Amino acid sequence: MITRRHWIVLAFLAGLLFLSIFATVTMGSTRVALDTILSDPTATLIIFELRLPRVIAAVLVGFGLAVAGTAMQGLFKNPMADPYILGTSSGGALAAVFSLVFLGGHGQTLLAFIGATMATFLVYTVARQRGRAPVETLLLSGIAVSLLLSAILTLIMWTAGENVHRIFAWLWGGFPLASWGDVGVASLILVGCAIIFVYARDLNVLALGEEEATHLGVNVERFKQMLLCVSSFITALAVSISGIIGFIGLITPHVMRLIVGPDHRILIPASMIAGGLILLWSDTMVRTFTSEMPVGVLTAFLGAPFFVYLLRTRMKA
Amino acid sequence: MIRVDHIDISYDGATKILAELSFSVERGAFIGIIGPNGSGKTTLLKTISRILSPMSGAVRIDGRELASIPYRDLARTLGVVPQETAINFDFTVMDVVLMGRHPYIDRLASESKEDIAIARRAMAMTGTEQFRDRSINEISGGERQRVIIARALAQEPKVLLLDEPTSHLDISHQIEILNIFKNLEGEVTTIGVFHDLNLAAHYCDTLILLDRGEIQALGSPAEVLTRDHLRRIFHINATVKKSPRTGKPYIIPIIEEDVLLTGALRIHLICGGGTGSDLMHELHQQGYALTAGVLCINDSDYETAAELGIPCITEPPFGAIRPDSLHELETMLGCADAVLVTDMPVGRGNLDNIRILERYCATPIVLFARSDAAGPGRDFTGGEAERLFALLKARGAATVDGHQDLRNTLQDLERRGDPAEQG
Repeated sequence: MITRRHWIVLAFLAGLLFLSIFATVTMGSTRVALDTILSDPTATLIIFELRLPRVIAAVLVGFGLAVAGTAMQGLFKNPMADPYILGTSSGGALAAVFSLVFLGGHGQTLLAFIGATMATFLVYTVARQRGRAPVETLLLSGIAVSLLLSAILTLIMWTAGENVHRIFAWLWGGFPLASWGDVGVASLILVGCAIIFVYARDLNVLALGEEEATHLGVNVERFKQMLLCVSSFITALAVSISGIIGFIGLITPHVMRLIVGPDHRILIPASMIAGGLILLWSDTMVRTFTSEMPVGVLTAFLGAPFFVYLLRTRMKA
Repeated sequence: MIRVDHIDISYDGATKILAELSFSVERGAFIGIIGPNGSGKTTLLKTISRILSPMSGAVRIDGRELASIPYRDLARTLGVVPQETAINFDFTVMDVVLMGRHPYIDRLASESKEDIAIARRAMAMTGTEQFRDRSINEISGGERQRVIIARALAQEPKVLLLDEPTSHLDISHQIEILNIFKNLEGEVTTIGVFHDLNLAAHYCDTLILLDRGEIQALGSPAEVLTRDHLRRIFHINATVKKSPRTGKPYIIPIIEEDVLLTGALRIHLICGGGTGSDLMHELHQQGYALTAGVLCINDSDYETAAELGIPCITEPPFGAIRPDSLHELETMLGCADAVLVTDMPVGRGNLDNIRILERYCATPIVLFARSDAAGPGRDFTGGEAERLFALLKARGAATVDGHQDLRNTLQDLERRGDPAEQG
């Protein structure tokens, strides 16, 4: 049941995000005071053409990664799952790198989406037996397909010669070149998040088990296909904008579940906002204090130890 | 209400799990599905709950074919209680019970007051209210199963399918939960898989006995739970009694020990008042050829003899033994290698059973005593029986004390009777 405490947490997170957006646009390698934004043309340019699109893109990608992660964890009934495990991001990354190396970067977003969706459906098809894809087989076929895709990616990079540095920078992810065009693409993430939110109660029921969910009126196979499709759509958008950024999709739902509980009607919006917050501040850190270190490095540095800590406390409990 | 019509289920298209299975269930009935492991019980239940779809044939609920009913509509008609549920996230008990309302709540709506009231009522019926705010993973397995049952009840189903719903519960909760289902009888059609045959016999009006994917018997518990079916399908020897209170059958399995004797001896048993039943079971199992009598037809020893198929001479109650019966007894004693007399109460009515033994000097006579028995007081003839027993003992009748002693004595007798051993 949804309680008042849930609403308070959501309102707090939303307020925090709102304030963070204001705070982070003033931060960066050039400090801009809020009162000069409109009077000083350089400041206007920095804020509206460089920082604001970058801040919004980071928030939207954070939204998407967290919601896709929450959906996958609900689907797999396993708090250690996320869309990367399904091979979705490997597929997207492979297709985007292909475009970088062979097409001079043309059609990167579209290709990433096609690659991510194809990888997900390949995983699903491999796992499917007689119209059903049990979760265990799905996880294993996800690992198998990911390994294959990584190998092909390595092969392409090995043949790429002087482009390797560019590919590496892109793969590790970040928003240094984020534009309003990217924000336009990223806003589609909101559509995906909304679709998943509509099915929040079905995700709750799925936690009882697939047969149980069927008995409670959920068409489980169709629901799983829908979830896979929408999460790979979200993941592909995120990958094509910022490359592979790890741990947001894994950690955020995990932490929020400890705070608001497992009910997806609250967990999805709470994870979404928290994911946006984490990625926004991570990106602000790397652009303010480093010379554009890939943000994926920071999220991995923060996320991995935290994940280990969670794992240990879970094992003790 | 439910018609199962020639359904076939097979894995990999080859091994048939269910073959051409058909039956129908009336509205409000309580049906039990029984059968040994691997007989197809759970498969049948999963077919009725639409988890598995039959290769051919169909399941119909109220005339509608299962495959054509939308999932949400089916969930409002049919509730399922599985054997076991693993829930990986820490939902509260209240949340889990409320999930039973899922098929009634519109996509973007929340639970209404009515939904919450229905969930509360389901929790009250299953005695789970006190856990309502605890995590489903914190409570014990039995408590969790009651929560899952509450969830199924919150669905307000017209049909309930139970897959060994009480196998994880202790006996008091088993009865409590089965009583809940029993109270729904008439409004809710219940089909359950049961392992405990006695519980199935007690609660179900109709039993379906499955073996190797086929219905072996279908009918009232008394029709289905016969000694013959138990032996043929479950491969056990069992006594089927009739509960004196409910009239339903109940089963006492005979746990077979290794048979040591081939039982070449023919033994005539003189017993009564229930003192011979355990001996009949034991000796019968060891393979002795038994005869018994004369017994009164309402003696429980007679019931045991009839069950085990032991030839027995009988008399109607409240009368002395008639000459015809005595004549039959003489014939049986003449054929017996040994006579076993239990510590039965002796009165005027059955005194002739003992008196006749005076004439059989050559046949070994064994008097059975139990160390735990009350001892004196079995003579209701004013000393006549005592006198006869003393005479038999004086002539060499052996007295054995307890089952082990009896076993040894009979083995000795057998050896003595076997010429090869006399060598």
